[in-house]
Amino acid sequence: MLSVDKVSLSFGGFQALRAVSLVAMPASITGIIGPNGSGKSTLLNVVAGVYVPDSGAVTLNGRPLAYGRPEQVAAAGIGRTFQVPRLAHRLTVFQNMMAGERDQAGEGVFNLFLRPAAVSSREAEIAGRAEAMLKRLGLAHKANDYAGSLSGGQQKLLTMGMLLMSDPAVLLLDEPAAGVNPVLIEQQAALLHELKAEGRIVMLIEHNMEMIANVCDRVFVLDAGELIAAGTPAEIRADERVVRSYLGMPA
Amino acid sequence: MLDFAIYCLTIIAVWSVLGLSLNIQFGLTGLVNFGQVLPFGLGAYAAALAAQAGLPWPAGAALGLVVAVAVSLMVLLPARRLSQDYWALITLGAGELFRLTALNAPSLGGADGLTVPRFADPHLALGAALALMAAAWLVSHRISHSPFGRLLKVLREDEVLAATLGRNPVSYQRTVSIIAWAMAAAGGVLYAHIVGYVSPSSFTVTETFIVWTALILGGPGNNLGVVVGAAAVQLLSVSSRFVASWIDLPADVLANGRLALFGLVLVLMFLFRPQGLVPEKKEVRDAQRR
Ligand SMILES: Nc1ncnc2c1ncn2[C@@H]1O[C@H](COP(=O)(O)OP(=O)(O)OP(=O)(O)O)[C@@H](O)[C@H]1O
Ligand SMILES: [Mg+2]
Repeated sequence: MLSVDKVSLSFGGFQALRAVSLVAMPASITGIIGPNGSGKSTLLNVVAGVYVPDSGAVTLNGRPLAYGRPEQVAAAGIGRTFQVPRLAHRLTVFQNMMAGERDQAGEGVFNLFLRPAAVSSREAEIAGRAEAMLKRLGLAHKANDYAGSLSGGQQKLLTMGMLLMSDPAVLLLDEPAAGVNPVLIEQQAALLHELKAEGRIVMLIEHNMEMIANVCDRVFVLDAGELIAAGTPAEIRADERVVRSYLGMPA
Repeated sequence: MLDFAIYCLTIIAVWSVLGLSLNIQFGLTGLVNFGQVLPFGLGAYAAALAAQAGLPWPAGAALGLVVAVAVSLMVLLPARRLSQDYWALITLGAGELFRLTALNAPSLGGADGLTVPRFADPHLALGAALALMAAAWLVSHRISHSPFGRLLKVLREDEVLAATLGRNPVSYQRTVSIIAWAMAAAGGVLYAHIVGYVSPSSFTVTETFIVWTALILGGPGNNLGVVVGAAAVQLLSVSSRFVASWIDLPADVLANGRLALFGLVLVLMFLFRPQGLVPEKKEVRDAQRR
């Protein structure tokens, strides 16, 4: 269980998060919605170890996460994507995918020069999985293209695949469906359901309410850094405060 | 004339080592080292000091590598949490600090420098330089085409991404610095034994600038490109000396003119061919091969 407990954070005088508490369970998809600037990405950055909160705590299965050390949070099994996808643009899609695996014998210099056989057998194994992952995401035909040449939607898929190479227990996704065509969104939704079925904790920031309704088990609503509602997608749709501050009047 | 050609080849090999070292730092990892002359100078002075103390050359070589690695870690320490711009300034400053120290410390010979036993035979010097270049090449090649090199390129493209993928950027940058600085220091040791003396005027910002010109001209990220760039820059340098002697150009005008020429080369490369003469190759996976 991923638990965010009374997390507050301010940038200078601006209070971006006000005592936000929420939990995300394994084998479920947790949505976070709210107006632009309500603090969704900021919250995700706290969980991912980019920002250090002023107060409050983030724990995974009861263990506190390292604040301000994203590489340690990632090593604890928490993968995150960015609102604007981050990729190594001048590496191929395949190489990006390979780099997603954290545990690489060939990244140690001593192994490189003294245990070449161990390096290449591990490399072959990772390559096999990278290939399978590209197939799963429908990107196999792009394997040898530069990652920077992919469309925005494809880049988002690739970043998810890179994270999955290290088999994370938690996936934090920042607007995976934004700017993505409907077919690809459907593909993403199917992937999210698979990840849920695999028992992972999936946390999803989205403005696409159809996607939220389709995949989320539970939704938290942020407004001006404050949690204003929580519940199933249906409950959230009916919540007067959420409608007022975010969803707008139903047609 | 043959002797001169041998000398040119020897110098090209030494500068290729410097270029390969810079390529690991900048071409692969994106570290902007504007003090590349520092490990080079440390190696050269270590060779000189060991020789002054009556020690055999391997002692000087060992000293040079150890000192260069230690200094690289020291320079890295403040740069740790700083952005790349500061990294550039810190390395630039560290290089100058070393030169000024050498200039003003009597034990380092001051402006006159120190003498170093020379290779008895220019062929031997050439052989040693080529051997060192081959070793630097092999190390660079192994790194470029390995999972380690792949991660370095990820780091080059986006440090935040590397951290997000669970890698600590600083620890990779540290490893890169150790390898690259040791490589450049080895070049410095050899250089000292080739030219037979060390003095502060051989280790100025200009030297760093020349290595950068070679790298940008040849192709950052491509080892072959670096060697091509080093050769081109040295040949340009040598031929400018001939031209100067034909048209009776004073030495200082020649030196400045040469720098201006390299500056022009840099500007043209950035404008028209930022990937260099021999661009970094795309690592294509051949699915049939397995
Ligand atoms: N590093 C920062 N420094 C200063 N202010 C910041 C920083 N990061 C975010 N903010 C501010 O915090 C607020 C919340 O930003 P955040 O990116 O979390 O919004 P969001 O809910 O993700 O919005 P969107 O839906 O537009 O992505 C905004 O007002 C933003 O300007
Ligand atoms: Mg956001």
